[in-house]
Amino acid sequence: MPSETLEEYLEAIYKLAERGEVRPGHLAEVMGVSAPTVTATLGRLKARGLIERPDGGVALTLSGRQAALDIIRRHRLAERFLVDVLGLSWDEVHAEACQLEHALSPRVQEALETFMDNPSVCPHGHPIPSASGEIAERRGLPLCDLASGESARILRIDDESGELLSYLSSLGMFPGTPVKVCEVAPFKGPLLVEVGDSKYAVGREVAGKIAVEQGGMPARRRKRVGGPR
Amino acid sequence: MSRSCDEPGGVLKRPEGDIVIAIAGNPNVGKSTIFNAITGLGVMTAHYPGTTRAVHTGTARAAERIVGVIDLPGTYGLSGNDEDARVARLALLDLVPDVVVVVVDPVNLARTLYLALEVLDLGFRVVVAANLADEARRAGIALDAEGLSARLGVPVVPTVGTAGTGVRAVVDAAFEAAGTTPTRSPGYGPDFEALAEPLVRACRDAGCTPGGLPPHAVALALIEGDDVMAAQVDAQVVSVASRVRSAIRSHFGEDASVRLARERHGLAGTIGDAVVTRTGEKRRLPRDWWALTTWPWTGVPLAALVAGAVFAFLFFAGAFLAGVFSAVWQALASPGITSVVEAVAGDGVLSRVLLWGLDAGIEASLSVGLPYILVFYVVLGLLEDTGYLNSLAFLTDRFMHRLGLHGRAIIPLVAGAGCSVPALVATGFLPTKRERLIASTLVMFIPCSARTAVILGAVGHYVGWQYTLLVVGIVFVMWLSIALVLQRILPGESHGLVMEMFPFRRPSFRRVMAKAWDQFREFLFVATPIVVAGSLVLGGLYENGWLMNVSRPLEPVIGGWLGLPAVAGVTLLMGMLRNELALQLLVVLAVSTAGYAGANITDIMSPTDLVVFALVNTIALPCISAVAVFWRRNGLKRTLAVVGASIVLALTIGGIVARVLPLLGLE
Repeated sequence: MPSETLEEYLEAIYKLAERGEVRPGHLAEVMGVSAPTVTATLGRLKARGLIERPDGGVALTLSGRQAALDIIRRHRLAERFLVDVLGLSWDEVHAEACQLEHALSPRVQEALETFMDNPSVCPHGHPIPSASGEIAERRGLPLCDLASGESARILRIDDESGELLSYLSSLGMFPGTPVKVCEVAPFKGPLLVEVGDSKYAVGREVAGKIAVEQGGMPARRRKRVGGPR
Repeated sequence: MSRSCDEPGGVLKRPEGDIVIAIAGNPNVGKSTIFNAITGLGVMTAHYPGTTRAVHTGTARAAERIVGVIDLPGTYGLSGNDEDARVARLALLDLVPDVVVVVVDPVNLARTLYLALEVLDLGFRVVVAANLADEARRAGIALDAEGLSARLGVPVVPTVGTAGTGVRAVVDAAFEAAGTTPTRSPGYGPDFEALAEPLVRACRDAGCTPGGLPPHAVALALIEGDDVMAAQVDAQVVSVASRVRSAIRSHFGEDASVRLARERHGLAGTIGDAVVTRTGEKRRLPRDWWALTTWPWTGVPLAALVAGAVFAFLFFAGAFLAGVFSAVWQALASPGITSVVEAVAGDGVLSRVLLWGLDAGIEASLSVGLPYILVFYVVLGLLEDTGYLNSLAFLTDRFMHRLGLHGRAIIPLVAGAGCSVPALVATGFLPTKRERLIASTLVMFIPCSARTAVILGAVGHYVGWQYTLLVVGIVFVMWLSIALVLQRILPGESHGLVMEMFPFRRPSFRRVMAKAWDQFREFLFVATPIVVAGSLVLGGLYENGWLMNVSRPLEPVIGGWLGLPAVAGVTLLMGMLRNELALQLLVVLAVSTAGYAGANITDIMSPTDLVVFALVNTIALPCISAVAVFWRRNGLKRTLAVVGASIVLALTIGGIVARVLPLLGLE
């Protein structure tokens, strides 16, 4: 089994890959370490056959993906446990779960799942991979993929820290709230979003974290280039 | 109430008064105009330790009684880690106002009531001020104030803050409410309240009332996941709270804190629907064409037009007004000051030195302050009041992001090309300390109109337009490099943007003037004394003939490295006071050095010298007023760093240019 550090890297690579191509620079940003450190660690991951480096990018191998899903499963189960059973707040459990995830054996994972009645998603709404490494497809698309004039409904807010979530909820943006994109600023700028009677300028970083489901009128779906960073 | 008033241990203190009221409200509902209408101008500004949001406090006299007033930062809610919300919450819990006036907007009642419910939930006595009543009427919206009052259980007063209407009634209602028991919030959905009940009971039984809060308030804060609250209650209550949160989660299928926010929005929406009637014949509002400010095809040209207009206005109208002011000063104030000084200090060196400070110094400060700075604040205030600044921020956000900034930072940067001082003050509304630091540092390196005037006067007039472009180009490349370096070396990243976009509003002259004056005071009282003191020192050096002595130690740098004549070094020093003076002084000193009237600068300086002179004057040392304002906002250390960096950069670039230009064939 890979060390804790390597597990953290696999987890980060998996999550970045969900949103597009992974470059070592993104990893350095996410992990909060220097570029040389990332290069060294990627070397170790590659030596163990967990990742490949096509064209300087980073991609998980099959066994790397299994290992990543395993750690994500443990993380999300731990979060679920902390929120549902211990009653911690969902904006504080991410850091706690990072500690706890490394200590969960397959036996404990199974017991937790049974105890919590087989939860399908973590408290933030992300799917929990199964013991055999299967994961439900993520529904919805990021708000920033909508074109101006399109309407949608908020599905979830991909924000582990919870800060954005509580801020958006004070503005009345919850999962389930209908939103409409009125305008998109040039050069991948912010979006002008109508919620209820108010309009907000929402930066692309934030809009990338708001997953929506298109509702009402049929709308063309634009091809995604890259993804939000 | 027996709430213990913990000393916040910082600068922000509970204002004195028979009663203390706090004013809370969403951004842009006219909270500050109500604050200003109550307090007049006797206002203090304070910071909470560890935060950068300024909180205004003030006192007012109403019918023999004294009211202390706290103006909380504009915020959408009280929970969460957003700085405005945090400061508002801290100030409420620490300063314990007797009454909280929550300002709501009838046009947007449901959303603005959310905050009122949060304040009620904390167990405060509340008076609701339904502001912008005039605008609501125009938008065809009628508010049933009595109905709202009945539903919330608190007094509701319609106000028009800009005209001062209803403000007196708000203060009276606050006095009346001050003695009463706080109203409990109307209560949320029965399922939610039933699930929360065990926690409320546990809080009551344990008798734990941190900060004197009622049990229901403590329970709701615990459900929200408030760590500070959790640390102040018994372990047993904390465990009940965990169980209740867990129960709420499994009942509603979402986190307890989100559920509570949803319940609040739901209740606010129900109340809003019940008390607001929208009359059918809603007039076509200017907000329809206002959308053109954000539609890229029209918005971008419009933004360029507005930025150009602001710049041109500062450049031309400012220069014109400065000329008028100078003439008036010379005709009226100057002779008076001169005769007073000469009557007191005689007709010698002493009086001439005093005149440097009291006549020229005050004139220098005011002739920048009144025409450029006050005028700029009025223009900026108009743009802000109509809501246009937000449209501009929306369009430029992407570009500003590259510089580690926020869309709204475009305003100070454009303003900086006019005058650095108002631009520095304008950085104050940026949301994080990091952005304020980056923006204010960048402003210090943008050539203001006075420095541009030297480039045009020295290089454009005597050397040629190609070299003017060269100087401007060098300065621009340097500026961009500084921006990119700052973005890398300052830790943190710019916040994701979530900003409310306001529909067009008719600007209020009173509001704009009040705000402009409020900001102008900072310049007047901070910069003027420093400029006067600086002028006295320079005057002392000049009148005693020591200026050349002072510049002698600089000779290796000015003469040896930059290749400039000694007089140029003197004028660069003087330029600190007012950058545009550098050129005038150079002309004066050129005459005295060459020894005959009508002498030209070109007699003592080569074209290369003039280019180097303009570059160094542009890059080194922003004027002393700008340094004073920067110092006040960013502290001594950063000021020294910026001033030091500007000198080093100026000398490096100047020295290199002085060596390269002759190689290219310029004399």
